[in-house]
Amino acid sequence: MKTFDYLEPTTVGEACALLKQGRGEARVFAGGALMTILMKEGLLQPKTLINIKRISALKGIDFHPAQGLAIGALVTHHELETSKTVKEKLPILCAVEKEVANIRVRSMATIGGNLASGEPLTDLPQVFIALDARIRIASSSGERVMALEDLYIDYYQTSLAEDEIITQVIVPPAPERSGIEYIRFSSSSVVDKPCVGVAARISLGVEKACQTVRIVLGCVGPTPVRAKKAEAVVVGKPLDARLAEEAGSVASGECSPVSDLRGSEQYKRAIVGVLVRRALARAYEDASQS
Amino acid sequence: MKKGIRFRVNGVDTALEVESHLTLLQVVRERLSLTGAKFGCGIQVCGTCTLLLNGKPVSACSVLAVDADGSDVLTVEGLAKDGQLHPLQEAFMEVGALQCGYCTPGFLLTAKALLDENPHPSEEEIRSYLAGNFCRCGCYQEIVRAIQKVAGE
Ligand SMILES: Cc1cc2nc3c(=O)[nH]c(=O)nc-3n(C[C@H](O)[C@H](O)[C@H](O)COP(=O)(O)OP(=O)(O)OC[C@H]3O[C@@H](n4cnc5c(N)ncnc54)[C@H](O)[C@@H]3O)c2cc1C
Ligand code: FES
Ligand code: FES
Repeated sequence: MKTFDYLEPTTVGEACALLKQGRGEARVFAGGALMTILMKEGLLQPKTLINIKRISALKGIDFHPAQGLAIGALVTHHELETSKTVKEKLPILCAVEKEVANIRVRSMATIGGNLASGEPLTDLPQVFIALDARIRIASSSGERVMALEDLYIDYYQTSLAEDEIITQVIVPPAPERSGIEYIRFSSSSVVDKPCVGVAARISLGVEKACQTVRIVLGCVGPTPVRAKKAEAVVVGKPLDARLAEEAGSVASGECSPVSDLRGSEQYKRAIVGVLVRRALARAYEDASQS
Repeated sequence: MKKGIRFRVNGVDTALEVESHLTLLQVVRERLSLTGAKFGCGIQVCGTCTLLLNGKPVSACSVLAVDADGSDVLTVEGLAKDGQLHPLQEAFMEVGALQCGYCTPGFLLTAKALLDENPHPSEEEIRSYLAGNFCRCGCYQEIVRAIQKVAGE
């Protein structure tokens, strides 16, 4: 690793100003789970590291009935996994977190870092996109809020500007009678990064017809993918086995997996089909029972 | 860049000047001569470099030493108290939960963090918490049994 200047701002404003001054040569450092690896391998050699972990405004989890769940960017995976508020309001997140990486990564790495990294082999982006999550972003000139779905551009590329920091993830309250399921498939050990991850969310309208449907595929392309054609297969109808199967098969054509150690392209497409079918069925059951 | 850091290592207040790019593992092993934690994969996968940072297990191979400024660090050398081994260390010996011992410091500290968080874990909870620690000698059954022994006491 090459040496670098190391700064520890205590406010968001200060951090954004430092990023602006750094003109592309300064990088945000949160949990460091990805950053230290990239720097050790020489893939990234920032002149300045801006460690944001001393900014207390980026910590903590809040719930408001009207706005929903607000998760600070510095919340770690393990904090989310074990949060009482999250367990009560959105238990899917605790269940997903149990399967992320290993306990050491979960203890250090942050939700903000996970979403901002643009790493393709992660779990949280597809789950949060299925939940219609928005992110709050601060920069040296102000603040903006956008749909998480719009953050991703390509492998490791996001639409964040050089001086922008994600400060919060906001999950709006779910519509009545909603269900969500996430299935993570790992083709080697359970602590390996996922091979494929599929999130499905359904909310029901009249006569148990699917009203809102989100199908989000992870790890099978440069960015998480909303399988919109597969969603359209299901919308407006009550879900049955045939429809779930059809949506799975449509979704497997909506992604662009690459062959690697975790499986061939063909294999991953087949897995997508199966996981979409299963996730839809469980989300539907969950919605029907709520 | 050099930076002064202060942290508590095994209960001892410690102040050092370190280069910003050094890892906590390098500093603990090379500057403080605490060589219990080992280098393995270097990419947060194997767990042989595990240390407890403010009570939480971390991969010291991937933590910057400057980032540990102000923290409480526990290494395997700090587990025994007043010449008495920690109950987990006793149990590991009794059950024979090691062969070469390369992974043992990491397993001991991870198990300590688990028991501090959840004093009576189920077997499944033990296996899941420890899933990110690798033992190439394959002592997994014994390791789980040793932890169960302490958890049941
Ligand atoms: C061994 C291993 C296994 C893993 N397994 C999984 C897995 O199973 N599932 C999964 O989802 N993830 C997994 N990960 C990924 C891990 O969760 C992410 O790398 C991690 O969350 C990154 O967070 P961090 O806080 O460590 O970010 P850092 O490494 O500090 O930063 C990552 C990137 O995000 C930027 N950044 C960080 N925070 C912000 C912010 N608030 N605003 C703007 N930019 C920011 C940084 O500049 C950098 O580009 C794994 C990682 C490792 C090392
Ligand atoms: S050496 Fe740190 S996790 Fe393997
Ligand atoms: S005892 Fe040899 S690696 Fe575990």
